[in-house]
Amino acid sequence: MSFNGAVFLSNLIEILSCLGTTFLVMVASLFFSLLLATVTVMGNLGKNKIFRSIARGYITLMRCVPPIVLLFVVYYGAPHLVKGAFGVDINQLDAIYFAIFALSLLHGASISELMRGAYESVEKGQREAAVSIGLSSFQAFYRIIFPQALVTALPTLGNTIVGLLKDGALAYSIGVVDITGQASYLISMNLGGYVLETYLALALIYWILSLVVQKSFGFLETRLKKG
Amino acid sequence: MTWNVPFMYETFLNTWKAVPTTLKLTFIPFLISVPFAFLLAMAQIKKVRFWSRFAQGYVSFVRGIPVVVLVLLFYNTLPGQLAAIFKFFGSSFNVYRQVPGITYAYFIFSLTAIAALTEIFRAALSAVDKGQLEAAYAIGLNAPQAYVRIIFPQAIAVAWPNLCNLLIMLVKNTSLAFMMTVKDITQTAKLGAALNYCYAEAYTVILIIYVIICLILEQIFRRTERYLNRHLVK
Repeated sequence: MSFNGAVFLSNLIEILSCLGTTFLVMVASLFFSLLLATVTVMGNLGKNKIFRSIARGYITLMRCVPPIVLLFVVYYGAPHLVKGAFGVDINQLDAIYFAIFALSLLHGASISELMRGAYESVEKGQREAAVSIGLSSFQAFYRIIFPQALVTALPTLGNTIVGLLKDGALAYSIGVVDITGQASYLISMNLGGYVLETYLALALIYWILSLVVQKSFGFLETRLKKG
Repeated sequence: MTWNVPFMYETFLNTWKAVPTTLKLTFIPFLISVPFAFLLAMAQIKKVRFWSRFAQGYVSFVRGIPVVVLVLLFYNTLPGQLAAIFKFFGSSFNVYRQVPGITYAYFIFSLTAIAALTEIFRAALSAVDKGQLEAAYAIGLNAPQAYVRIIFPQAIAVAWPNLCNLLIMLVKNTSLAFMMTVKDITQTAKLGAALNYCYAEAYTVILIIYVIICLILEQIFRRTERYLNRHLVK
């Protein structure tokens, strides 16, 4: 087995043409998991016992579930559930929606934990001081606590986004044509040939993407810490 | 489409028998990775020429790409490379027939375990105060004694929660072993699913089993953490 540099390059470019889907899955899942995490962290830190146990149960469950298993549970299970509850058939829905839903569900829990850690890292006196100078509860959160918590949360958030990117690779297994999907398609087009070149190109793309995310979060952190 | 509960019950009982395979896929790579990760972490801490850069690059690469891509890359290329090597040496060993898929699974999961464990060891060893080592030398311990008796017990206590996370990650990674034709819980549960078209039920069973394994692991670590931190002043 020898390495064919020309095929490596041409496949690299072919794979890159599907980068948009990978980004779409990543950004959409990040958006929805942030929403879900906000609700979860509110339930987790709130006073209502029922909401708190729901939030904690959800976090524990998601910590234990392998991404690919959750993806398949959602892919095969959600149509069951939706048909039972609303009588709507969503079997024909594009696989990308299932992927985004599963990834949001998975990372909503981890992001809520990092939000909780960041929120709790801000000293209590900060909030008390803010309220004592006449800020409302919401203002105190938005102007005083949130900016400080954000700086603490940034490195972990960077890791979570890399995690989202990596878990997104599994979406190819339910038929989403992202960069991983494109790579396996290219190999089947070549009748199983040039496996090394194609998957090496794929690995290289993921590595660079992860590095870019990590470096930019590191940069953001140093910029924000100055304040 | 109805939810097939008897099928789930039966699948659960069948799948439960594959749990040892999943545990093997978790702990064997973990044990393999311990010495390698320790050496790489030490290379980084002691700033050994070449090896510390190598460790950095290795960790960055393996942690930067999805495990599924590692599986695709190595599982599809390694057998061919091995076969070529055996052929080169004139051996009649048939790689495709005689090396089971689980060997590749061990190899690939070890690669990810080494990367994660290197980071854990590095963080834990740097967390132990430098004065501890100096004090150990000062009272006349030699280097192995100082490490085994003074540094490691403290470093392990620091690393314990991260080790728990790592093992949970390794348990979760095993869900990809079915791609390498390993009969783990995923593969076993899927067997009946195709016959009855009960995929949703089968995957729910898999999910439940993974949750059980992880919860047990977490409990074990939580109980032992207290024991390891007993030297700390409360």
